[in-house]
Parts: sequence; C-alpha cells; structure tokens
Amino acid sequence: MNQMNESVIGKNIPRSDGHAKVTGTMVYPSDVIIPGMMYGAVLRSPHPHAEIVSVDTSEAERMGAVCLTYADINPIMYNERSVSIPAATYRDRTVLPSKARHFGEPLMAVAADTEELAHKAVKAIKIEYKVLEAVYDPDEAMKEGAPQLYENIYLGDNKLTVKNNIGVVRNIDEGDCAGGFARADRIFEHTFDLERIYHNQLETKCAVCKPEPDGSLTVWATAQSIHANRQLLARILNMPLSKLNVVRLPFGGAFGSSIQVNTVTPICACLALKAGRPVKLTSAREEDFYSHQKYPARFTVKMGVTNDGVITAAHVKALIDFGAHQVQPLPFMGCTAGWFASLYKYDGNIRFDGTAVYTNKTPCCAMQGYGNPQINFAIESMIDIICEEMRFSAVDFRLKNYRGIGDEFWGQGPTIRSIIKSCGVEQSLVEGRKMTDFENRQRPEDRTGDIRRGLGLARGFHTSGTAGPKEGEVIDYSSALIKINEDGSVDLVTPVTDHGGGTWDALKKITAETLQVPFDMVGLAPAATTNTGYDVCTHATRGVYCGGAAVYHVAMKVKERLLEYAGRLMAEHAYNLEVARRDELGQGVVQVKHFPSKFMTIGDIAKQAQIMSWGTIAYTDSYRQRNCPPCFTTHFVEVEIDTRTGVITVPKVLIFGDCGVALNPDLVKGQLIGSFNRGFGYTVFETMPLNEKTGELMNKGLLTDYKTPTSAEMPKIEDVEVILCDTYEPSGPYGAKGIGEAALASVQAAIANAVYNAVGIRFYKLPITPEVLLAALKKKEQEAAK
Amino acid sequence: MSMHPITLKVNGKPHTLLVKSNELLVNVLRDKLFLTGTKYGCGIAECGACTIMKDKRSIMSCLVPAVVADGWEITTSEGLSKGDKLSPVQEAFVDLAAIQCGFCTPGMVVTATALLHENPNPDEDFIRDYLRGNFCRCTGYVAMSKAVLAAAAKMKEEAQ
Repeated sequence: MNQMNESVIGKNIPRSDGHAKVTGTMVYPSDVIIPGMMYGAVLRSPHPHAEIVSVDTSEAERMGAVCLTYADINPIMYNERSVSIPAATYRDRTVLPSKARHFGEPLMAVAADTEELAHKAVKAIKIEYKVLEAVYDPDEAMKEGAPQLYENIYLGDNKLTVKNNIGVVRNIDEGDCAGGFARADRIFEHTFDLERIYHNQLETKCAVCKPEPDGSLTVWATAQSIHANRQLLARILNMPLSKLNVVRLPFGGAFGSSIQVNTVTPICACLALKAGRPVKLTSAREEDFYSHQKYPARFTVKMGVTNDGVITAAHVKALIDFGAHQVQPLPFMGCTAGWFASLYKYDGNIRFDGTAVYTNKTPCCAMQGYGNPQINFAIESMIDIICEEMRFSAVDFRLKNYRGIGDEFWGQGPTIRSIIKSCGVEQSLVEGRKMTDFENRQRPEDRTGDIRRGLGLARGFHTSGTAGPKEGEVIDYSSALIKINEDGSVDLVTPVTDHGGGTWDALKKITAETLQVPFDMVGLAPAATTNTGYDVCTHATRGVYCGGAAVYHVAMKVKERLLEYAGRLMAEHAYNLEVARRDELGQGVVQVKHFPSKFMTIGDIAKQAQIMSWGTIAYTDSYRQRNCPPCFTTHFVEVEIDTRTGVITVPKVLIFGDCGVALNPDLVKGQLIGSFNRGFGYTVFETMPLNEKTGELMNKGLLTDYKTPTSAEMPKIEDVEVILCDTYEPSGPYGAKGIGEAALASVQAAIANAVYNAVGIRFYKLPITPEVLLAALKKKEQEAAK
Repeated sequence: MSMHPITLKVNGKPHTLLVKSNELLVNVLRDKLFLTGTKYGCGIAECGACTIMKDKRSIMSCLVPAVVADGWEITTSEGLSKGDKLSPVQEAFVDLAAIQCGFCTPGMVVTATALLHENPNPDEDFIRDYLRGNFCRCTGYVAMSKAVLAAAAKMKEEAQ
C-alpha cells in the first residue's frame, strides 16, 4: 500500500509559506516591532568625496536623539562580505567612515523615539566638510593625479598601498593562448559594456536590534546568511559570538544584495547598544539605491576560430568599476573568469586580465550571477557574431565547442573546480532549434517593414554552490538538525535562508523523502545563529544543492537511529527494516522489508524511546558538498521592434532549464520566468546615469525613474514556454542541482542576438533603450545611403 | 503637532485612534494596528506594496493621510480570508505558484481582488494592464495573470 504514495520529489506541492504570504501574516525584518523600540535614521553624504572636518550633534541630542558618529564606533576595518577565506578578503571600511567616498554614503546615524524625530535629529546635526574632487570614470581614476579614494587597505592581515585607485588586479592564464590564436583562421575582437543595475528588491534593507537583559544582542535583519551577520557583528562590537543571536527570517528579495552584511545592520547594532534600547533601522527607497548596486563591466573579448568551427583560444580583458568600497571584486573577477572559461573549451587556451578600480560611486556587490550575466552577454554575443560572419549554425557551433559531461567546470573562480556529471545543453539546443525552426529563421537583411521580428539564442549556466573536491578561496558547507517527535512529526532546523525560490520547501521535501514521512509532517523550525551550525550563505545557487545535501546527510543519520530503535522494539535486525510513508496513518512507519504488515509508526517508536529513556531520535551535523555542478539554461527569444519608436517587445520566449531533478517544478519554472523579466529589464530599460557635478543618481533614488518591466511588458501566458531538461545530478540530493542564478545568465545575450536578427545591428553596450535603438537605426540608414 | 481622533473600520473591526496630521495610513495600519501585511516599499506610490481596498477599489495607503481616512471602512490582505479559508484570489496565488519572496504578494492580491470586483470576467490583457502599478521583482508576473484568471473562473463557478 505504501508504494501507492507518490513521492514528493518532483511533485508540485503548493508552497508551505503561501498561506502566510497571501494573508500578509508572514513577518519580514521590516515587520518586526518591539515594544519600546526606537527608530534609527542615517545621515548620508551630500558629496561624492569629502573629508569630515567637524561634527556637532549637540542640537540633535537636545532633541532627545542618540547620535552615532565615527568617534563612537570601533574603527576596525572589515569587508561586509565574508564568504571568501580571510586571506582572500580585502578590507577597506569601518561601520561609519572618517571620510565620505560616495554620494549617499552613511556618515552618521541617530535613534529617537519616533521616526519623525529621528529624521529631524539627522537634519539638526551640523557637519563641516572639506569637499574633495571626485572621480567617476574608471579610466580617469587610474590616471596619475586622479583623486585618490584610499592610501591604504588590507588584504587579509597585510597592509597594502593603493596606487591609482586600482583595488584588485587578477590575471589568469592557462594553456597557450598565443599558440591558439596562431592556429586560428579568423580572429575576432570586440568590447562589451554593461551598466550598473539596482537590485530593486521590494523590501528595502532593514535591521532591528535588541539589547537583551543578559547582555546579549538579538538581531532581525535582511540577511542571506545569519552566521555571516553574527560573526561580523561580534568582531565589530567586540562581543562573544554566544552573545549575538541573529534570527533567520524571510526577506523581501535580495538578489545578492544581502550576501554581505548590509551597511545598515552594524549601524543599527551600534545605535541599539549605545541607546540601551531596541532600535529599528529601515532604509528609505531613496537610500537603498545608494546601498549597493550590481557590478558594471567592460570586457574586451578576443577569440580565434578555425574555418571548421573550433575556437582555438580566448582572451578577456575586464575593467570593473566597483565604486567606493570593496565588496570583494577579487572573487568577482575570479568567478567571472571561471564563467568565461567554462562556457566553451577554447582548446584549453584562455587568458583573463582583470582590473578593478575604485571610483566615487556606490559600492558594487553580487547580483544574481556574480559576473555571469555580464560575461555571458559578451561571450554569447561574440559567438553570435562569429556564427553570423562565418556562416556557422548557431546551434552546431555551440554544440561543437561547449563544455559538457566529463569537462571541467569552474564553480567559483580558478580555485574551485569539478567535473561536469549532468548536462542538459544538447537537449536544450537540439529541441529548441526544432521547436523554433531556428535554422530557417530569416536573415536580418531579408527583414523589412516598420515592425520587424527577430529570433535569437543564447545559452548559459551557473554553478550549484562553491564546493569542489579541493577547498579553495571560498568557504562552503552547511549544517542541519533533524529530530523525530513523539507523534511522528519531524522538526527541521536549518540556518539556510530562502530568497523565495522555494529553498525551504525543497529542504522539507528532502527530509520527508529520506524519512518517508508526509510532507506536512515536516516542520521548518524557527532558527537563529545560537541554535544552528554554520551555513555560509544562500548565494551561488547553493541552497538546495549544498543546504539540501546537509539536510539529506543528517536525515540519513536520523534514519539510522530510527531503524536501530525500531529494531529493538520490534525484535528485528535494523538492516531488515525500512522506512515507508503511510499517508492513511498520517505519518511514516518502520516496517519489515517485504513484510509491510509488521510495522510501527515512527511516532510510536519515538514515544517508546522516550518512555524507555533511550533518548530523542535526533542528529545534527555539518556537511560539505565536493562538487559544484553547473545548472544550464538556454533562451530562444523572439523580439519585435517598432523601427519608428525604437521600442523592443518580446512576443515569445522559450526557456530551457537544467536543474537536475526539479524538486518542485512550478517553483523552478517561476524562477526562470522571473529571471527572464529581470534580464529583459537589464537589456532594454535599466540604467543609472549620474549627475557628475554632485555624484547623485539622476533618478534621485526614485523607482518611477528607474524603469523595470511591468506585468504589461511580459510576454503573455501562452507565449512563455519553459522546459525542464531530463537530467539527474548524481552528486545532488535526489538528483537536484541549482537553478536560481543560471536562470538569468543567458537572457541578455539572447535578446540582443534577436535584436541583431531583426534589424542587423549589433549592440555591444546595454541597455538598448528606444533612444539607443533609434540612433543606431538612423546611423545604419545614413551609412547605407553613402 | 496636534493629534486628531479618527475612527477606522479595518477588516470589519472598528478602531478609534489618535493620529498626527502628518501620519500616513500605511504607518497607522502597520505600527498602531500591527497589520504588517500592508507593506512599505517606497512611501510615495511607486510600488503598490501598501495597497488596500476601500469601497471595492484598490488604493495605496502610503498616499492617504490617516486623518483623511477618518470614518473609512477598509480591507487589507489580512481581511481577505475568512478564518483559515483563503479567498479565491489568495488560493489561486498559492496553488499556481504566483509567489516568490512574497513581499509584493499582499498588495498584489488586494489589487487583484479589486480587479475582479471591477471586472469579474477579465481577459489576460485587462489583468496585465491592471496589475501594472504593483511592482514585483521576483516572479515576472506571468503566474499572477494565470492566478487571477483561475480565481475569476472559480468565483464564477461558486456564484452559479
């Protein structure tokens, strides 16, 4: 009978937190309200670059505000991001700076009884600035005599001198590039430019900190990693880790912007400790824009290709303008090199020369892909250029050159590599070609009329986690605690956070499947840093693959103990027993193999174990994955361009996703569609021009002037097709790998390639706004007239 | 600043409150009535996260000074369900995976509910246009349109 119970793996089960989310009862960090709490507000720099000459907070204090200035903080230097090992971490910032390095940088903060009073108190602080010359352009910043943001920074414990604002140089060279290029029949070289993007998570970054009677501090904050927050706060506040409890909460989106400890969180903690009262600090939207932005990038890509369609070498030069603080451009460039290196084989000849530069702009951080969407746009545009010019099939050329099963994949830069064991690339390209009749698409020169359609393709991937067989620059492991309760229900305690993609339900499913209990009998316990082992972060598409692997490992240990206790109670050898789900009993059982009528419910086993004082059936441990399998995506996009207005729309999109076994297919598809929406925005809308006189964003931090695609601009329901590849990842829990960041990787290139197919114009810089497109069409027309 | 007494009926429950003249309805709902389902995303009607319903029409509560709302009867996301029973819109959002981080969800389901009051038989274009003022960074909206269509069908079925 138990065989009749359908497995939860791969089944669409409505998400467990759905009820709380649609009724608005789910508590996010900004919903945390504590009796007697004060409200924080931040004084942000009105200058892009300025020294603080003097500060007078007396008026604000007379108003009843608690003020926090540079003089109040522990001036240790840190990096907000702590997923890299300390020796590979640059440190250049303090809780509040002694000098303003970008417009909108938090300089001071206050806490007051009301939000209104807090903002009035901020206005009452008097500061005298010595305004310095600012530099925004990375090329200008590297010139002799340019304004210098820093004299010294640290790499690990080593003090470094900053020259010409160059923050990090990262060069990687493998194989024999010169030889590879020499063997090529054609050499292609182009430069691609990608803009800064604002994460635009709907919940602005927030923290609530509460000093407890025992001298500890409880923190509710927007965080992708509770343990990263705890460890950094302990260092800054000089408190034992045991006195810092960071609570795991859902958050209203992050997209990478909360991998690092958010700038407001230590400020809030310092305010709360100074005030001796709980403090809530929520960023206004206009402030959040200046918190972190996505890394922009300029890539010069050189590729050598033979006449029979083999890429013989590739060289990428990268220039990264990362703004006023390092949120780790070192691993960012390493990862970017890795995505580049892992897309195609290049005959093993690759070179990456990366330079990352300080400028007086908002610090940049990860955003869904950590360099992957950026470099993917460059490489997949380049592949399209090669195929167009050499008249190769865009599908066959990719199939001939891609890295697939048996090849090496760089999951997190050059130090984290593993061998690809599952791959949906061929299925995606071959099926997609057939479904879209791709090879018979019209050529750009054959397309005429005011309205022109185009069909484009690009493929991409992302890693699942940051663990390889050998440890490298990045920390990766997770932890879990699972216990069986005396009624057959199960408590799952995990430090893993969920962006909303459904990671928590996936972890519940892995528990339910391993212990063979009904899904609803697994409870996701509230969790915090004091009652969970370490998990590095829900980043790098590792929630299911790495967090899930820890849950699987621990569930197997719990099962072992369960079978042992059941064996004692049932007078059977443990190896003669198995777990089975019995939905009709509302719980799981332990039964004799091939003789299911002899069984005990797991609730009874736990209860008997309790009565006999054997102990609770529970286990906790940490677990490290030893692979970083790529999850692949391919996008076939049809665009429609109105050549009179320059507006690009997407009438149709076909998306292939390879996440191994999809634990919850609807949620996987949701991530792919949501990512398409964002990628569409990056390709045609999103841009962040700066007022170069003031360093202020031209949109002044307003959403209205930061255009993103709305419901009305997405393709219609029946015009969005998502196909999940039939793959199984042998190293993943129940065959699963990730999908989150891969979902975005190839969107921009696919749209830009479709635009080329529609109008015959190659865009090397994003976004392709209507103005940009119209200007390009006009230029093309003028050139044709000559 | 002077304080003003107001009465407010929220989700069928009457409240008498003292509010400042510059206090916004969104803050009163969140900080005084602890109805934090009405989210704060921008404070200036750019995102729709704070959408509530008054007289079956959706409005953004960050645009309403609390004193203006004196005497109003309003519904928030918390008031759409009856006990544990979700409304058809809420149920469809859960069943059709129209939720990710969930921060836009309360405002979105309120807007979708108002949509179906206004037009019980919407087509997809009507829905796409109607939801435009509610910003979601996660889902790409497609599942939401599906959910609203499904809710409309279910409500029609229940009415028969």
